[in-house]
Amino acid sequence: MSTEQLSEKYLGVVGMSGMSVRQGDTAIAHGSGDVPVLATPQVIALAESATIAALLESMEQGETSVGIRVEFDHVSTASIGAEVRAIATCTKVENNRLTFEIEVHEQERLIARGLVIRAVVDRVSFLAKAAAQSLSHQ
Amino acid sequence: MAEAIQKIHTIRAEMVANVLSISVSVGELVTIGQTVLLLDSMKMEIPVLSEVSGKVIEIAVSPGEIIQEGDPLIMIEEQGK
Repeated sequence: MSTEQLSEKYLGVVGMSGMSVRQGDTAIAHGSGDVPVLATPQVIALAESATIAALLESMEQGETSVGIRVEFDHVSTASIGAEVRAIATCTKVENNRLTFEIEVHEQERLIARGLVIRAVVDRVSFLAKAAAQSLSHQ
Repeated sequence: MAEAIQKIHTIRAEMVANVLSISVSVGELVTIGQTVLLLDSMKMEIPVLSEVSGKVIEIAVSPGEIIQEGDPLIMIEEQGK
């Protein structure tokens, strides 16, 4: 599919995801720190989840997308019990790569901001390649 | 006849942040190193200090606002050193 066709399908799509911060979402639980606040890897997972939600309606059968790059500013903390939401907007399409701008908020407060880039790939070819790599490790 | 030239100094955001509070008001005299704003960024409370002495002539942000790197925060009319 050409960049123009992909742009028509995906440019401007928006997705959201949300979570309540629990013990298992903290930096302590993730091993990414030693404080009981929302872990950065969990923020990125939430952001990626918002990108998946954005693509849900537009993906064709046989297509999938895979994360290939993230860039994030983790600006502020969110404590256990906080309700956090991520909004992802596809702002750029280049070849098979989709760039999403992400904002993560707790109410009005900015928790994180960044970019997630995903590549649109053929699901069967991708899984076949992954399986071949897995076999080569055995 | 020579006229006095007003020099306006703009304090800008160095990073994306939430504005927590503003410590000065328009018309107030501030000195170098005085805290003018408190930001929430890099998961910490970060004071923004005045880089000049002078009079606050404009405050471009409000508490709760999200600011981006480079955004103007406070304008100060510099006064004699």
